[in-house]
Amino acid sequence: MNTHIALILPELAALSVFLLLLIADAIKGRAKSDVRSRGSFAIISMTGCVFVALVTYARRTIVDTGFHGMLSVDPMAAFFKLLFIGILFFVLPQSYTFMHKKKESPETLALIQWASLIGMFFLASANNLFFLFICIEIVTLSFYIMTSYLKHELLSIEAGLKYLIMGSLASAFMIFGIAIIYVGVGHTGFPVIASAFRSDPANRLLVTGMLLLISGVGFKIAAVPFHLWVPDVYEGAPTPTVSFLSTASKAAGFLVLIRLVTQIFPFYDYRHYLLFSVMAAATLLYGNLGALQQTSIKRLLGYSSIGHAGYLLMGIAAYQEIGLAAVIYYLCAYVVSNLAVFWIITLAHRKLHSDQIHAYQGLAKRSPFLAAVMFIALLSLAGVPPTAGFFGKFLVLLAIVQSRAVWLAFIGGAGVVISLYYYLNIVRVMYAEEPASGEKIRVSLLHKILLGILVVGILGLGTFQAPLHQTVTRIAYYLAQNPLG
Amino acid sequence: MILLLPWIPFIGAAALMMTPSAQESRLRLITKVTCVLNFLIVLAYLFLLKPTQSGYQFFYSFSWVPALGIRYQVGFDGINLTLCLLHALVSTAGAFVSGWPKERMKEYLSFYLILVGAIYGVFTALDMFLLYLFYELTLIPLYPMICVWGSKNKEYGAMKLTLFITAGAVLALLGLLILYRNLGIQSFDLMEAKQIMRGLPFLSRQAMIAGMFLFGFGVIASLWPLHSWSPIGYAAAPTSVSMLHAGVLKKMGPYLMIRIAIGLLPDGVIRWSDEIAILACIGILYAGYAAIHQKDLKFIIGFSSVSHMGYILLAIAAMTPTALSGAVLLMFSHGVMAACTFAGIGFIYEQTHARGVLDFGGLGKKIPFWAVCFIMASLASLGLPGFSNFVSELLVFFGSWNKYPVIVCFAVVGVFVTSLYLLRMVKEVCYGMENPRWESLKDLSTSEQKFPFVLLLAGLLVFGFWPQGLLRIITPAVETLLS
Repeated sequence: MNTHIALILPELAALSVFLLLLIADAIKGRAKSDVRSRGSFAIISMTGCVFVALVTYARRTIVDTGFHGMLSVDPMAAFFKLLFIGILFFVLPQSYTFMHKKKESPETLALIQWASLIGMFFLASANNLFFLFICIEIVTLSFYIMTSYLKHELLSIEAGLKYLIMGSLASAFMIFGIAIIYVGVGHTGFPVIASAFRSDPANRLLVTGMLLLISGVGFKIAAVPFHLWVPDVYEGAPTPTVSFLSTASKAAGFLVLIRLVTQIFPFYDYRHYLLFSVMAAATLLYGNLGALQQTSIKRLLGYSSIGHAGYLLMGIAAYQEIGLAAVIYYLCAYVVSNLAVFWIITLAHRKLHSDQIHAYQGLAKRSPFLAAVMFIALLSLAGVPPTAGFFGKFLVLLAIVQSRAVWLAFIGGAGVVISLYYYLNIVRVMYAEEPASGEKIRVSLLHKILLGILVVGILGLGTFQAPLHQTVTRIAYYLAQNPLG
Repeated sequence: MILLLPWIPFIGAAALMMTPSAQESRLRLITKVTCVLNFLIVLAYLFLLKPTQSGYQFFYSFSWVPALGIRYQVGFDGINLTLCLLHALVSTAGAFVSGWPKERMKEYLSFYLILVGAIYGVFTALDMFLLYLFYELTLIPLYPMICVWGSKNKEYGAMKLTLFITAGAVLALLGLLILYRNLGIQSFDLMEAKQIMRGLPFLSRQAMIAGMFLFGFGVIASLWPLHSWSPIGYAAAPTSVSMLHAGVLKKMGPYLMIRIAIGLLPDGVIRWSDEIAILACIGILYAGYAAIHQKDLKFIIGFSSVSHMGYILLAIAAMTPTALSGAVLLMFSHGVMAACTFAGIGFIYEQTHARGVLDFGGLGKKIPFWAVCFIMASLASLGLPGFSNFVSELLVFFGSWNKYPVIVCFAVVGVFVTSLYLLRMVKEVCYGMENPRWESLKDLSTSEQKFPFVLLLAGLLVFGFWPQGLLRIITPAVETLLS
């Protein structure tokens, strides 16, 4: 049993931080919602992130299966856990700033965020479809609450409701798929399904189940045609939630998708390629073309996040080690850039009181720091060197060219040009137009330092690619060589 | 030292960002010192490079992303050293030119230095990934520089320029990736790729890749009909950006065509050479014709630069050693000349905020020193002997004659068209009645104001009378490339 406990040490660490925060919140009571006690709560929370990250990092090399095959720990699980905890570290201070301004309790929000993080941690090491489903539900349920957290704002509630309905549909797809697979195989463990699928790749039950599962995951990653909720939810939900949703939830979705194509249905043929490449092309074009007309910056980023899902799907369509490595690299690049962008939206919202693009007029004069960071982050999203986004796109395009799908690479290239138009439009508004008011936007030192770390990350992943590239390549090779996990 | 060429301007840009924006003189000083320092380094290399030695010299190579075979690799041969000299001249002149925007100078100068550094990066890099990275890096500063500090229609011009060039760059990137897959090696190393390509039999796919390079880089080389971003972009850009863009950035297109397309896929390029030659010829005549009808000085020079790029592209299509040597020398000459003209237009625009051809008159009397510089640059542009433009255009025509006699005949007509619009421009601006509106117009007076013009014209004249100074290094490099 001890070895079993050792497998879930990172999860236990996260759980203990969660409980500590729960107790701290209970002790503090409702009365003291002043800045200082909020600050100390935030510090406990962020220290907790560091603690959990250290535990996860220390256990990163372990490869084992436990709990009767329910859980399996591998390099990819460890990598994604580090990614999730990193995201939470940068989302927490955003939530505090945002909710404090909105006079809502950031403490409860933080607890929900931690709960969803624990769900993601278990999700990363799930080795059984039922268990996977439960983890996904934990994550998604937390997101329903986070989306409609501003209970006095109509847009937030509307977004929450839309997300709930669409999300339930996705869950229904998934559970139906799992049921059909169970009928076909009589088991829900990944290795059993994998060996059954390998011996009979044309099994109708298995293929139907797989398609339903992919549809369910398609909702999470916002792939066409499962993308309908994205713009509305991105526009209406509180900004820190969108930040968390667009990074962690998408990463979790791709984690599941990678597991699906490598470890649950490890037989890749032309049908898969066709499915994913068509999905990728449609997603990419829909997202980028849809973003052209947007006037709200959050809605625009919603569409752009659909576009990014298209690039990530291209990596899946390319399959092979190089494609999977490209997907993970691209995810990291996308996460770092998106965190920075949404953070700036949060900080700017305090003074601009609007998420419309024209509200950003002359931001460069009101806060050169915010405008400069936004510029770099947007360039990264557009994929211009020397930023992380460029190398991510480079790897994805390289992978897709390697797998001889040049037509898809051309669509990807067209997407870069289209996306540059709407990202540069924001840059133009920030730099070339006159501000509506001369009032400066102040940014506290803590925020500057954390944003500075993100900028270093964006530029670092774009110039010193070798360390991360080696890591993701190793993970991809591991996945390709150990399909039965 | 060659490793430092891109990094000195980047460090300069970082230094600028840390300087308080109120200290304008210090900001300017940092910019000037940075550019002059690089100028001196390039000048030293011009004498250190051994013309007889084949291959790349001052070669440095470091592993960067080993898994994909990406290296940080730099070196000089005659071709890129000539272009570095061009860039050194133009960027230094640009740093001294007085047309700096007064507002938000700190940001402007930082962007300027990033742009300068990125261009040095393109001209020194010898790894395809690194080349591409620096090539796209030039786009980052360009957009805000034109969009914020430009004039007339700046937002449209900036967006059009950026999107066109990015589209071309992406097309070339896809070509690069397909080439990488076809090579069957894990390397972006130019020399290694060249050796492997020499050993491979010709495949029809090579023609496709070569086409992607030619048209992808053709966008920035303003190959007709992909040129339409160019006059609008130049007209919108502030002076020093127009100088760098028309003078140097545009030369990256033909440079990369020569370095990557001809260097790696000569057989593929031959498949396209007729098309390129015809398009180049249309470009020469069409842009010349368009320039005749322009009323804005910057539009005239913008179309003129499209027209002149046609000669360079024609030489690339002909692909003979003489023609390519001429093309490289013409890139140098035209770059210096275009920068000088844009600096001149910028100087009077700054004072008058007018740049219509008919707005002026009699400037030869009013501001003689400026007029002399402007007329000299115009005469250089139409290929007067004594300026290096003459030698290089002659080489291009000689080198292309055997392959495309008819097109060369048309191209020579282009020289005649050039003299039509340039002489008309000179006549309207420098001669005739003085326009009383510009009573207070001042000439270039201090030596600091005169310096950029003198520097650029000296470059043209020195290599006009002594073309061997550059040809002695260009010709062996071109021969190695084609061998």
